Amino acid sequence: MLLTQDDWYETSRDLDWTFSYVDRAAAFPTEWTGAEGIPEDAWEAWEEPFRVSYRDYVRVQREKESGVKAVSNALQRAGSYDQLPASHVAASQMHMGLITMVEYMAVTMQSRFCRFAPSPKWRNLGVFGLLDETRHTQLSLRFSHALLKHDTRFDWAQKAYHTNQWAVVAAKNLFDDIMLNADCVEACLASNLTLEHGFSNIQFVALASDAMAAGDVNWSNLLSSIQTDEARHAQQGFPTLEVVMAHDPGRAQRIVDVAFWRASRIFQTLTGPAMDYYTPLDKRKMSYKEFMLEWIVDQHERVLEDYGLKRPWYWDDFLYSLDNGQHAMQLGLWFYRPTLFWNTSAGVSRDERAWLNDKYPQWEENWGVLWDEVIRNINAGHIDRTLPETLPALCSVTQLPLGTAMSRDRLAPVSLVRDGRVHHFDSEISKWCFEQEPERYAGHRTVVDRFIGGEIQPMDLPGALAWMGLTPDVMGDDTDGYRWAREYATESKATESKA
Amino acid sequence: MALFPIVGRLVGDFIPHLVAVDTDDTMDTVARKVAVHSVGRRVAAPPGVPSYDVYLGDRRLDPSVKLGELSLLPLQWLDVRIRD
Repeated sequence: MLLTQDDWYETSRDLDWTFSYVDRAAAFPTEWTGAEGIPEDAWEAWEEPFRVSYRDYVRVQREKESGVKAVSNALQRAGSYDQLPASHVAASQMHMGLITMVEYMAVTMQSRFCRFAPSPKWRNLGVFGLLDETRHTQLSLRFSHALLKHDTRFDWAQKAYHTNQWAVVAAKNLFDDIMLNADCVEACLASNLTLEHGFSNIQFVALASDAMAAGDVNWSNLLSSIQTDEARHAQQGFPTLEVVMAHDPGRAQRIVDVAFWRASRIFQTLTGPAMDYYTPLDKRKMSYKEFMLEWIVDQHERVLEDYGLKRPWYWDDFLYSLDNGQHAMQLGLWFYRPTLFWNTSAGVSRDERAWLNDKYPQWEENWGVLWDEVIRNINAGHIDRTLPETLPALCSVTQLPLGTAMSRDRLAPVSLVRDGRVHHFDSEISKWCFEQEPERYAGHRTVVDRFIGGEIQPMDLPGALAWMGLTPDVMGDDTDGYRWAREYATESKATESKA
Repeated sequence: MALFPIVGRLVGDFIPHLVAVDTDDTMDTVARKVAVHSVGRRVAAPPGVPSYDVYLGDRRLDPSVKLGELSLLPLQWLDVRIRD
């Protein structure tokens, strides 16, 4: 008689080695497991809610894959891409360039779990995680490859992480650090728990919804399919958190607090502008802040509190950042558009501006006044004054521009000197992250560090653009050809006529 | 004289910039080199010819002092304010 799954499942997923000719510590070094200070038998309590067998996994994944490909093939035949708003296409190009290879990095992280995680159940689940992430990489590459005939920018799905483009360097710095450079415990708490359970909802649920509203069924479908996997393998975070909280709660709190801030900054760069500026106005469902408050504050943080974690010490500053950081990034992205491999939508027409002021009551005072000068220059024909002539100063932790975490009113130097080198930070929070493990971050070099170190030649902006791999066919520009600014000129003239 | 990188912020703008200055530059020159990246780009130019003050922390620097006299580290943050 065949055994049922219940008969064999517990044994199969908890199968472990009894070592006879090697020390367990040599087979599972704590540098890789991250289990230092945690008793070996503590990991027996590691449980996850997804009781998935390999047979079931393959069957379900096959169905998902067939569904995505059927939709994708039908839409390609229908030529739906040509109907999409340019600003929405820009969001998909940004996503594919910055995220596709992160999926591949996650394959390596999950592979490490398969080999070095301190619990056999976790190692078993890691197999499904690495297969998930392989699928996500392949899906994203397939999606982008099919769109290459429309726009070579989709080539950056594969190419981006082989360049020095600044946003890629910043994202790579984060994901290298929390996925590839971290032991299993830290990688799990930072990536599965914080990034995937907390933040990937923003990218894969919110953007999927916006994409569907914008008519991009293909991309929406892809994002939603990926999210079903993320929701499952993100669950590795909770049992890991439970074990670490029982034996080293201070470490768990520190890892999550650092990861939460660093993840929030990278998503503020990626998803914030896409939701608040790139999505066509009539298709927007929620602002970035509203989505963050619902998914991160109301859901993710509440779950973490159930496990005994406190809110990060910087919570008030994080909330303040939700009112400002993505607007700072948006202005920066637009102004520095030649440094991007996607076109960028300004998103500040009169109607869009009214929406921004409704969602963010301080927007006009903090950001509108800066856009006004940009608009004056566009309408006066001074496009050269809407373009950069040097690099922004960058944060030694997030590698993002100083000034893009809070508002300009709060902008002040946050710095320290270590071994004769000045490190600047985008906030007191990033400085605190650095101070937790200065030896970890001190050697990281931002684009500015590389610039003044002589790696970029000639030492000017064109030299930097070439170094970043930006060629004229992909270099970013305004998605609307600056037409959005004309209504301001018309209104100015009308006002002058009345006067 | 030598090329020297500083972080320069025009107070009122939202980001500071990497600015290449010279150790022989006076603060007046440093101010102009910082301001050019912000004034008339995102921060409206004041009427007439603008003049500026340079601050190291809370300390206003003498406009005639040269950068090389300040013993700064590379990437020191300097604030530039439009003079009222």
